[in-house]
Amino acid sequence: MVHALEKIHTLLKPDGILLDIHPTNEPAALAVRLREQLIPAGWIHESDDYVEYEWADEALQRSVDTGRFKLERTGTFDFIWHADSMADLRIYLAEEWKDASIDDVTAMRIEELLKLPVQDKEILVSEAIRIARYRRT
Amino acid sequence: MPVLLDPEDTETRALHDYADFTGKHVLEIGCGDGRLTWRYADRAACVVAIDPVADDIALALEDCPAGLRHQIEFCVARLEDLDFPPEKFDLALLSWSL
Repeated sequence: MVHALEKIHTLLKPDGILLDIHPTNEPAALAVRLREQLIPAGWIHESDDYVEYEWADEALQRSVDTGRFKLERTGTFDFIWHADSMADLRIYLAEEWKDASIDDVTAMRIEELLKLPVQDKEILVSEAIRIARYRRT
Repeated sequence: MPVLLDPEDTETRALHDYADFTGKHVLEIGCGDGRLTWRYADRAACVVAIDPVADDIALALEDCPAGLRHQIEFCVARLEDLDFPPEKFDLALLSWSL
């Protein structure tokens, strides 16, 4: 990661901007929405406990500490996925997030909630995403 | 039905709140299938979008809106293998890839 940031530094014009977007190390939250009601259901587990995002934060901080970049602004936002069923969610995770899993208790809870006689319902996954702007120094 | 990602467009708003892409030469690292690229490329002067996964780049090329094809260069590449001259880009976007 440190080498990647050095390469980016080389490729940017003086005063150029690095914009970084990556998930925080907070586990993605699962919920079921039944009309306006949001019912928390559990969390998505990742096999390496989101450690790679901590590494990313450390590499970026190192690049600031060594004077390669200046942090100008940072914040977070919620990135929400919408799924109609556990089956759809599992397919998506298998294709796009192979390290992720949903434990059986959470999956059963979601399935039970989706069986409720409500027309307007869905599964929501909420990821906390960090966004930061750095200026090349 | 496939999973819908961020239909609220929260990520797009954050992207444009944090950076002005207008007229910029942009390098996007880890572009995947172009999901994020479509959200800003129309404002940029040009975009080089790279990803080491050939299947994702193939999808990006297939799905690229016709109006953006002249603005975006998709490459199957790793950052360390890029051979551009120094100081080429105004903005580098690390999209979920560091």
